[in-house]
Amino acid sequence: MNPHAITGIGVASTLGTGRTAFLESMRDGAKASVTDGRAEVPGFDPTKYLGDKGLRGLDRLTKLLIVAAREALHDAGLKEDGSWSARGGDDVGIVVSNAYGSLEAITELDRVSILEDARYINPSRFPLTVANSAAGYASIWEDIRAANVSVSDGNCGGLDGAACADVLLAQKRARAVLVCGAEAMSDALHLAFQRLGAVGSRAGRAQTDTKAFLGEGAAVLVLEPSGLARERSSDVMAELVGYGTAFEAPPREASLLHASSDALQRAIAEALSDAGASPADVDVVVSGVSGLRVFDEAELVAIGRALGGDRCVLAPKLALGETLGGGGTFGMLSALAVLREAPRAPTPYAVRGALRTTPRTALVTSMGYYGNASAVVMRAAAR
Amino acid sequence: MRVLPRVFITGVGVVSSIGLGKRAFFSALEAGRSGISPVGQFDVSQLGRQLAGEVKAFEPSDHLTQAETRRMGRCSMMALAAARMAVEDAALPAEQLAGPRTAVVLGTTMGEAQLLGDLEREWIVNGPRAVRPSLIPRYGSTLLPIHVARALGARGMVLTLPAACAAGNYAIGFAADMIRAGRADVVVTGAAELLQELQYAGFVRLAAMAPEKCQPFDLNRQGLLLGEGAGLLVLESEEHAVRRGANAIAEVGGYGLSCDAYHITRPHPDAAGSIAAMRAAIERSGISPADVDFINAHGTGTKHNDAAESKVVREVFGGRRVPISSMKSMLGHCMGAASALEAIGCVFTLESGVYPPNINYETPDPECEVDVVANVARRGSADIVINNSLAFGGYNAVAVFARPGVLPEPQAVA
Repeated sequence: MNPHAITGIGVASTLGTGRTAFLESMRDGAKASVTDGRAEVPGFDPTKYLGDKGLRGLDRLTKLLIVAAREALHDAGLKEDGSWSARGGDDVGIVVSNAYGSLEAITELDRVSILEDARYINPSRFPLTVANSAAGYASIWEDIRAANVSVSDGNCGGLDGAACADVLLAQKRARAVLVCGAEAMSDALHLAFQRLGAVGSRAGRAQTDTKAFLGEGAAVLVLEPSGLARERSSDVMAELVGYGTAFEAPPREASLLHASSDALQRAIAEALSDAGASPADVDVVVSGVSGLRVFDEAELVAIGRALGGDRCVLAPKLALGETLGGGGTFGMLSALAVLREAPRAPTPYAVRGALRTTPRTALVTSMGYYGNASAVVMRAAAR
Repeated sequence: MRVLPRVFITGVGVVSSIGLGKRAFFSALEAGRSGISPVGQFDVSQLGRQLAGEVKAFEPSDHLTQAETRRMGRCSMMALAAARMAVEDAALPAEQLAGPRTAVVLGTTMGEAQLLGDLEREWIVNGPRAVRPSLIPRYGSTLLPIHVARALGARGMVLTLPAACAAGNYAIGFAADMIRAGRADVVVTGAAELLQELQYAGFVRLAAMAPEKCQPFDLNRQGLLLGEGAGLLVLESEEHAVRRGANAIAEVGGYGLSCDAYHITRPHPDAAGSIAAMRAAIERSGISPADVDFINAHGTGTKHNDAAESKVVREVFGGRRVPISSMKSMLGHCMGAASALEAIGCVFTLESGVYPPNINYETPDPECEVDVVANVARRGSADIVINNSLAFGGYNAVAVFARPGVLPEPQAVA
């Protein structure tokens, strides 16, 4: 892929809302507050960022996404005081990764439909049940018109969304693209993971616990072709330079869930090749390790096979929670935090090795639950 | 200017209310057969509407193994059945299909929404302990391409694009881009959607559903009817297709995207986004509006949509009256699967020179001043056709399809 500059970020996370809160938390090794296996964005008040008007009809997922998208547009200098200041709506696209849509709205309407009568469901809430609803509202609120792409690829969606953004930029369908990952906490999502025995009550440690905790939030990166970013003298925070993905079917016919080291190993090799990098170039890996033992072990095996066992591997999900469709995007934001400012020692979120030097190249990995895996390569901005 | 690989369609597969498989589908399209019937999958008796384009003839065991049917929902079953038909139509041997250079990119609106409905019912009626853990991993639109990739031995990218009613065009366009970018040689693509209770009730409550028939572009149109189905296509790079001696049945041209950023369910009244998307599709195909022979319309049968779409056609084509037809008059609105099935309708037109009819057309609407292929199929030149889709969320996606080799060589955009 041609290098894409990351020129702005926006975030609403379980560690706080806003770029500064997130980067400082990452540097300091903060952890989310977890109750009953779930962590939410603390004190999330969308009116603080979006005003009072028009929020009543929106769900939590949409509000999280719009708050982060608005911050990213301003952080990148594309908007100032809510108006376009560089580029315009026709030049900017958006890609949103989300795994489960608005379960909040679906459950609300299902309750009415099942307990009362389908004739009484609120039509104004019905659009929220559609998978690309949050992405559509983000375009409406932020006047993003070049293209709007929704991705539903579970844990890999965030990184696959970056690949979609690469296509939009390479094909010159947009001059800047917001790469977003978002997932909102809901009782239905929490119940599903509880029933699967996948969530525990506190932040976990990879390979020692068998449970993760669910998080939520929205993470947004603004990508621009590096040449265009330089032209408008943007502050380039880091560059996205490679992407790879792969799928391996489970060996057993009856299986559905599958943690595939082979798929991730291939995805890493493809991402490195795409970036023109070698395994030795990778200084740090931001993994998707979340506390689910089978998946964590498979991911670490793949990273070890692809890069050797001595590389520093971070697991920010152990602090942020499992954000599913948002996970890969939070991984890229975490990598950016590490590339941008050297974390304090000991290296926060490290599950293997430690950072010895200021990292220049980061690999971000995601393992899907069904045998799919994706990886991206990021580079520190030239100083 | 850098020349890009051509992308050919070498096979198509269909699960629809008017026929299973390419030949049955094509012959029903030509005949203008309606697939609309009373809903049988769930109870709609209280909703004041009873019709949909339900796929009644689909028997999963005819297409899938027992193990496959056990691990997937109906939407994935339809997608996999259509994928197998497409691969068979492409005469693509399993050993050439399997491997890391084959990707699966699918669109949908809600994927396995029926499974989610079942899980929610268990929870709401009987409490949290009643929710069956075995059902949970089977829900999620992520799974559609996973099931297909697994069955076909594809080991490259698996991607779901839930782009609502434009999902088919999104998936096909993105799949073609994957090939042009050199990331895949073969992509199995398209879209699938199933009829679902909450969705049905939602459209009734939005007052968007017609009582009896879907009448795109007609003065007295009363809304859409929902449908379901799956339309899958095998896309190959020209090099791959030529190397194995494949029969290219159509070529994927350029496509255009835009977002209205106006209203979550209604198209922008000035239609600027849709116009831009259609112009981009034409320009990115290296052609002019004068080269387009036929438009396979989005044509939902709602007042807003058809008026806006007609405006787009008039703006883009000026005084030239390009024949236009909506397959939704026969199939209903298959949501995420709609534009994939319509893309296959485009393949039919390119192959046969037949424009499928827009059935139920009775009274012209001055607001829809376009050349509707009314009620009976029409024959005409068919070298280059457009597939138009406009979707929930303000999504616009327009794709160009052509007879192989008719379009200029694709080039990287300067």
